Amino acid sequence: MDDLLERTVGLMEQAGASYGDVRLRRDRTERLSVQNGRPEHVARSASAGIGVRVLVDGAWGFFGTHRLQDAAVEEAVRQAVDIAQASAAAQTEPVRLAPLEPATDTYETPHTRDPLAVALEEKLDLLVRATEAMAGPNVRLAQAFFSAFDTRQQFASTEGSRIAQHIVQTGGGIAATCIADGRLQVRSYPNSFRGNFATGGYEYVEAMDLAGEAPRVAEEAQALLAAPPCPAGRRTVILDGGQLALQVHESCGHPIELDRVLGMEIAFAGDSFLTLDKLDTFRYGSERVNIAADATCPGGLGTFGYDDEGVPAQKTPIVEAGRLVGYLSSRETAPAIGRPSSGTMRASGWNRIPLIRMTNVNLLPGDAGSLDDLVADTDDGLLMMTNRSWSIDNKRLNFQFGTEMCREIRSGRLGQVYRDATYTGLTPEFWASCDAVCGPEAWSLWGTPNCGKGQPGQTARVGHGVAPARFRNVQVGVKA
Amino acid sequence: MIPSAKAKHGPAARERRLLALGRKMVRDSDAEETEVLLADGREFLTRFAAGAIHQNVGAEEAAAVVRAVVDRRVGVATADSLEADALDSARASALAIAEAADPDPHWPGLPKARPVKPVKAYDAATAAADAKARADFAAGIIAAARERDGEAAGIVQTEEGTLAVVNSRGVAVAYSHTRAEANALVTCGDGSGWAEAVAVRLSDLDADRLGRRAALTAEKSRNPRPLAPGTYDVVLEPSAVGEWLQDLAFVAFSGKDVAEGRSPLAGRLGQVVTGEQVTVWDNARDRRTLLQPFDYEGQPARRLSLIKGGVAEAVATNHYRARRMGRRVSTGHALPASSPQECMPMHLFMKGGRSSAKQLVGEMKRGLLVTRFHYTNVLDPMETVLTGMTRDGTFLVEDGRIVHAVRNLRYTENVLAALGRIDGASKRLTRVPGPCVVPTVRVRDVRFSGATEF
Repeated sequence: MDDLLERTVGLMEQAGASYGDVRLRRDRTERLSVQNGRPEHVARSASAGIGVRVLVDGAWGFFGTHRLQDAAVEEAVRQAVDIAQASAAAQTEPVRLAPLEPATDTYETPHTRDPLAVALEEKLDLLVRATEAMAGPNVRLAQAFFSAFDTRQQFASTEGSRIAQHIVQTGGGIAATCIADGRLQVRSYPNSFRGNFATGGYEYVEAMDLAGEAPRVAEEAQALLAAPPCPAGRRTVILDGGQLALQVHESCGHPIELDRVLGMEIAFAGDSFLTLDKLDTFRYGSERVNIAADATCPGGLGTFGYDDEGVPAQKTPIVEAGRLVGYLSSRETAPAIGRPSSGTMRASGWNRIPLIRMTNVNLLPGDAGSLDDLVADTDDGLLMMTNRSWSIDNKRLNFQFGTEMCREIRSGRLGQVYRDATYTGLTPEFWASCDAVCGPEAWSLWGTPNCGKGQPGQTARVGHGVAPARFRNVQVGVKA
Repeated sequence: MIPSAKAKHGPAARERRLLALGRKMVRDSDAEETEVLLADGREFLTRFAAGAIHQNVGAEEAAAVVRAVVDRRVGVATADSLEADALDSARASALAIAEAADPDPHWPGLPKARPVKPVKAYDAATAAADAKARADFAAGIIAAARERDGEAAGIVQTEEGTLAVVNSRGVAVAYSHTRAEANALVTCGDGSGWAEAVAVRLSDLDADRLGRRAALTAEKSRNPRPLAPGTYDVVLEPSAVGEWLQDLAFVAFSGKDVAEGRSPLAGRLGQVVTGEQVTVWDNARDRRTLLQPFDYEGQPARRLSLIKGGVAEAVATNHYRARRMGRRVSTGHALPASSPQECMPMHLFMKGGRSSAKQLVGEMKRGLLVTRFHYTNVLDPMETVLTGMTRDGTFLVEDGRIVHAVRNLRYTENVLAALGRIDGASKRLTRVPGPCVVPTVRVRDVRFSGATEF
């Protein structure tokens, strides 16, 4: 297969590409769902193909094909060049790439048990046991999920990079859905929407102890059915890890994507309030807020060796003591801020171009101790746990989130359970109101396996390390 | 598609090839029952922003979904390839999964063949559209925007594809389609406007019209003023109506969700669920939508009345769900076997009224005109509570006239109830991406719960 890559690089050079890269990628995935004690959905998929990206006359062209024969690759290069030439006709400024030292390297996700090699029976048994442990009077749906993604990619560029990577990502979780009197409540573990995800092997899911957590999850779902709705008002709010991860994702991760900032996504997902003039000056949040994009942190769902332009994985400061200091960038966009690429270009498959994607956009730990310590330090507030819904405007300012569960905090102690909790705000005001972030002991990684972006649509698997944090004067309890 | 190669590689030849492949896979299968879904196609998309093309891509893609059944045990495997090795591997994988699975006591068997009438969903010129044609289309949008001092962003997309479904109970159907979609987001200073269109034929889309329409809205939406959140009467343009309708379909119209009790229509079929002015149906055979003759189980598409005069009439099913609901055949809304969602209506229609969009605004004492929504999401599926933002043109209307643009607002609303407060709808229905075919509507008392800064 190396021959195919070398031949493609040669064809791109012969066609006059000033730059070209090719990715030969093979993906295997497995998704398992068990519902009420029996497997409901068991599916495996395999995909292989080649994606060719060229710069011709200063403009991009890309073509992907699932056919891996010489003739098909020749056609793919020809198509990519034709497309680039058409792009060039409607180009105002030629694309210029930030410099990059070519690399020859390999990378593999550290993992103990290959999740796709573990016997299907073993995986289903783990999930079946978890759903059986969720049985209860109003538990209509006891569900357990497992997902595994195995990606092998070879990358070659006309600049001389030759990189092979093997990324292994695994996830799982449980959810209890209680339905009664026309009301529906869901409680999940360790996160909603099919659980939590990481780079790593089957050991990641084994360590979740899904069956052990199942009775608590079912009890909490039933408690939610009987709970009153969360009252509206201005409140102090503590967000748990799962909810805070999505808060970081939507209100920080997306607006720091430099392609959005430069208007490249404006017609679809939108642009960003974090315009270039704000770099190094804008107060994004309080001094407690420190955020970094880190593609190197072990276990992060957005951890890899090199991005899909061959840029090494790296850690980039984004917010330091509340001040905006960086963006997620690519070789094309980084010159706009006079910096090298931060190595965040990733494609969802061989058939898609790389886009700027979050790596692991992490809220760095603070000094507020454990979650228990933070609750104990709060006189009057709400603890909101596990995401249920999300929405944010096209500049990433006005957001509204709903959580699965909410607990009243009075005099440092957890009390009343509330259902249907929501909160809303404007991004800089919200982060400015952050007065405490829990410490390293409470910091953990959360995987977001369904981050959508781009046209044609791409789904990326990205990560967020967070410790629970507290926010003051938050609008809570929005309801129709 | 290269024109000279049309006869050999045209849609009819591709359909024959996929059917032959599917039949061979079914014939060679060791499972008791086998279903094979095969797809082959090419997709091109040109993206432009700030008046220039910045992304321009194409891909030829294939997919195979194999469902194997042994002793009522079901396994599914997919491959993004039509190569023999990949297909053999998918077939073996599906069988291995089935053999490892538990029996499903409710398994009704794969559906039998039913007559499928062909549709005209393919346009050779759209399939042959090259990168220059798409760049020219983009240039047309950009030029139209610049005539009004606007800057355009958007897409021009063309695709062609062939889908075949073959199973061991005699289903063997195939069809080919093309699809062209374009949109324009035009900015004029701090104003922005939007226009979009989707069709079988690229020649049915009009770059100049899209660019002009978005630019007109952008011009009008300059200098937006803050408006306090609250309850407002609203005229929703078709893009906004389409978004609500698709979200409603997602939470309410799946037979699986109804059976599991997590649809707001669970236990309410035959009951009044919204206002009598609301009639919603699905019909993949109506020429006003993007035609599809059969679903992903090869069952014929047909009109399905979902809500009629405010009464919930039916929900979409695949074969499995139909049998579990006591029906002989499905409604023709199966998703691929690889999808855990099972079934969904994908060609929605909403009945119009007697007005024009202009009249709907003209009759409004005080309210808002909304071009489209952004990032709508479900807050409470049983109450059909959605939240999302307005974008690309939100206007305050007083005494039947637009008085000025307003900053974008967040709505939080029970959509089934809100549709029940429609007090006027346009006679003209518009096809928007989805596809949905919907009118412009006026809704009383829509709840806006927040506002943003632009």
